[in-house]
Amino acid sequence: MKSISLYVDNHTWLTKVHPFTKLTYIAAAIAIPLIAGKLWLFGCCILVSLCALASGKVLKRAIPLIAFSFTILLTIFLIHGLFHQGNANVLFSIGPLRFYREGVLYACRIGLNILNMLLSFAILVLSTRPSELVEELEKKGFSRRFGYIINSVFQIIPQMMGTMSTITDAQRSRGMETEGSLLTRAKAFLPLISPVVMSSLINTRERAVALEVRGFGSKSKKTYLADRPAHKGDRAITVCLLLMIAAAIVWRVGTWLLSR
Amino acid sequence: MKLFKTKLDAATIVLIPACIGINYLGKLFASFLKLPLWLDSIGTCIGGCLGGPVIGAVCGAANNLIYGFTAGDNITLIYALTSLGIGLAAGIMARLGFMKTFPKALITACVAGFVAVLISTPLNVVFWGGTTGNVWGDAVFAATQAANMPVWLGSFLDEVVVDVPDKLITLLVVFFILKGLPKKLTALYEVNAEIESLD
Repeated sequence: MKSISLYVDNHTWLTKVHPFTKLTYIAAAIAIPLIAGKLWLFGCCILVSLCALASGKVLKRAIPLIAFSFTILLTIFLIHGLFHQGNANVLFSIGPLRFYREGVLYACRIGLNILNMLLSFAILVLSTRPSELVEELEKKGFSRRFGYIINSVFQIIPQMMGTMSTITDAQRSRGMETEGSLLTRAKAFLPLISPVVMSSLINTRERAVALEVRGFGSKSKKTYLADRPAHKGDRAITVCLLLMIAAAIVWRVGTWLLSR
Repeated sequence: MKLFKTKLDAATIVLIPACIGINYLGKLFASFLKLPLWLDSIGTCIGGCLGGPVIGAVCGAANNLIYGFTAGDNITLIYALTSLGIGLAAGIMARLGFMKTFPKALITACVAGFVAVLISTPLNVVFWGGTTGNVWGDAVFAATQAANMPVWLGSFLDEVVVDVPDKLITLLVVFFILKGLPKKLTALYEVNAEIESLD
């Protein structure tokens, strides 16, 4: 069964770093350039993320994540380069299309922001097992019910995908068309999705009974199976990142006060 | 009948991951059949209709947060608010009895669609400069920008063109699925159910 998580344990240092440290890094990488408001800071954060991904040997697997949003970035450049409201100075033109400086600059800002977010999240996503993240959150007092919800999603989806391919095959063998014009494809949607949805909803009843029997609603304190060895440097990195966010805020407020 | 009354027992807790799975399947089928819609809120609406507004909202928000943090689709993180709104709207409308007949389900669909538009438009403007990433919607946006209309109006129309038909189809699917569910399952989620004893 194929999991939807992108995590692969490749035994690099990045997989051993505590999930909370990675979460702090995401917060810092997104917040610092936005607070400081400088374009080059986006570049710095992107560079740091790329270095971390490369040293964790997951850079290659981060490419599909970025390629996914590439079309959106392209439309942003086209639409704002051509039609942005404040457009005044022509930057360059391709045939009859004129790209304006203001629009391209605006699109750059949005594009870099998105790229920065994608890469910093890629560090967490590609190097952290979801159940590990959930368990660490639970140890810090995160609701156990929500922990179950998150873990259970990762079990349910591969099951549903299995059911889905069975049902697609079954409906096709009965002569249902899944290719062709838009109308044909739209008509195929309901007979494909409703059996999967029905069966998974009906399964919830059995799941609920099974959980209750195993003491899911019990109020007593629970213990954890895995004990996580602390990675050295977790605390130092977290403190550094938080200090950098604080520095960005101080710098922004300081320049704002000076300019008044 | 209380509008926001919610049961938080094992049955509703199990319903949430199932709904998130259904959302994922809807999106998968839409891309498998190459439909120009998202169809990724079927589960959220089912959750809202069965478990009530609170469960719908949790389904929606959890859906986007989980995919954002673990499956690498972090663009969806931003839209957690939209999903939350859709689930809440569907849940409230269902509790008010707007999922009982076909014409009423259409009204629910319009309400859910406009809630999605109202929440998504500011997010689109802030994060994407107004585009949505859907071909039809972005064509509308480009046209409004070329005609020198304000960004928020263009983005609003962009969303209306995509989100309202999307939610119409979603809620119709939900309506037919809910009609077909066995009573022994839906009885689990009745808020006003009472247990009677024989002796």
